[in-house]
Amino acid sequence: MDAESYTDLVPLIFIAVVFFTVAVGALYWSSKRGQLRDFDKQARTIFTDEEPEGEVSDSFPEKK
Amino acid sequence: MMPKSYNYNPYSSPSDAVKAELSEIDASIRSAAIFFVISAIGWLMLGTIFALLAAVKSHSPDFAGAYEFLTFGRVRSAHLNSMALGWASNIIFAVGLWIMARLCRAPIQHKGILLIAGIFWNIGLTVGVFGILGGDMTSVEWLEIPRYATPLLAFSYTLIGVWGVIAFRFRKGDHVYVSQWYILAALFWFPWLYVVAQVMIIWFPVRGVVQSVTNWWFAHNVLGLWFTPMALATAYYLIPKVLGRPIYSYYLSVLGFWSLAIFYNWAGIHHLIGGPIPVWLISAGIVASVMMVIPVIVVGINHHMSILGMHKQVWRSPTLRFVVFGAISYTLVSLIGSSMALRTVNEITHFTHFTVGHAHHGVYAFFTMIMFGGVYYMMPRLLKCEWPSAGLIKIHFWGCAIGITIMVVALQVGGWIQGMEMKNAEIPFLEIVQNTIPWLKARSVSGIFLTAGHCAFALNLFWMLFAAGALRAKEGPTLLVNKEKVNSIV
Repeated sequence: MDAESYTDLVPLIFIAVVFFTVAVGALYWSSKRGQLRDFDKQARTIFTDEEPEGEVSDSFPEKK
Repeated sequence: MMPKSYNYNPYSSPSDAVKAELSEIDASIRSAAIFFVISAIGWLMLGTIFALLAAVKSHSPDFAGAYEFLTFGRVRSAHLNSMALGWASNIIFAVGLWIMARLCRAPIQHKGILLIAGIFWNIGLTVGVFGILGGDMTSVEWLEIPRYATPLLAFSYTLIGVWGVIAFRFRKGDHVYVSQWYILAALFWFPWLYVVAQVMIIWFPVRGVVQSVTNWWFAHNVLGLWFTPMALATAYYLIPKVLGRPIYSYYLSVLGFWSLAIFYNWAGIHHLIGGPIPVWLISAGIVASVMMVIPVIVVGINHHMSILGMHKQVWRSPTLRFVVFGAISYTLVSLIGSSMALRTVNEITHFTHFTVGHAHHGVYAFFTMIMFGGVYYMMPRLLKCEWPSAGLIKIHFWGCAIGITIMVVALQVGGWIQGMEMKNAEIPFLEIVQNTIPWLKARSVSGIFLTAGHCAFALNLFWMLFAAGALRAKEGPTLLVNKEKVNSIV
């Protein structure tokens, strides 16, 4: 089926509006929840007790 | 010290209820991730064969030309789809979802669904690639898979993508790390791109040039909003993780994410510079392409500063060798891409091999190299054993690094000369075509290097998967890191 006019694409335009709203909502949410603050602390969340900060965690396998 | 009520880091949380162990999370995603890695490597090897065939055919057209299914048009499209949807997307599902699970600190639920969705994805793709070879392909670049296979792909993707969203929904801890932003966004962007392009081009085709606008909006965004964010997420996770040092500037990483989200989706129209579409649309595409310099420079500075002073550790880590190669390539390929979008440059590069070189620069030297690095970090942690051969890792790295460098240089230098010659009306077209042959032969040579690298990678991986148990039993549990050695260089 060919799309004959813009009105055939209304569902897509609707989805586009939803996507745009989600994106703006995500930015708003992130600012509201403090995601855009305390950057130094946030950068450290990837380290754990098992793989702590200050330790290189990957190297070539050694010959035994 | 952070207040207890607002603890960013559940790994170190004193409360056991909040604390999540990485090894437990790794175990929960093991079967699905290994399935995706094996599928990805299968497609990588198949895509490499198609690539070699297509590369040789471009300078020796008679090569393997006696069979319909091996003609250039079909083999080239089979290569593209095997790599983009087979290798790249499967490895994204493996590495991207693994990083997502680790950062959400939540062991995954319903892993069976993930596995079944993965099986359907690969079945759909197999049907699609056979369809392409069988002559059923559509005439739309990047969407060649015949329409009887695409609904299955879309359906199985949904199950996989939704899983990532569920993991995010049940995350522990307040903070969303920048990699999670990239992965989550990409999981939303890809279905949006794919469904819109399918609907507007294949199922309910819009009129005329609007199809081509949709086509290039889609094709460029597969790279920009699917591959790129996933590779950047991996780099943002692995560079600080391996080095044991936080990212240089978290602020810059957030800025990089949001500026990519704003600018990249406009950029695809630069593929139609000079085409019969409204000029303002092209201009908007060019502006967005040039604006991409912002996220690229931001990411480049951030990655560079993060490894500053630790180059030795980077070189000693198989993961980071690949990831840093990819990160450097990202800066290079993106800046070249932004300049290619300028009308005066595009006059020369359009319709030449320069563009082909650029595409491989992005998808291979940047995306694929980072994903190789991701696999080198992920597999030992999933399987709890070390890679069996350091030599094979080195062959893999050098094969790929040398191969892709030859390819990009050959196609871009050759493509530039081709473009200059095409602007000169006094040179006959056939002569220009013949002048490209040495460069195309250089590309076939680069294919040999890449194939060697891929074979070493596959060999090492299957050795690890099927013989690792025997190795482990003989030598006792292996440490993932030789700590004395590392400490001596730190």
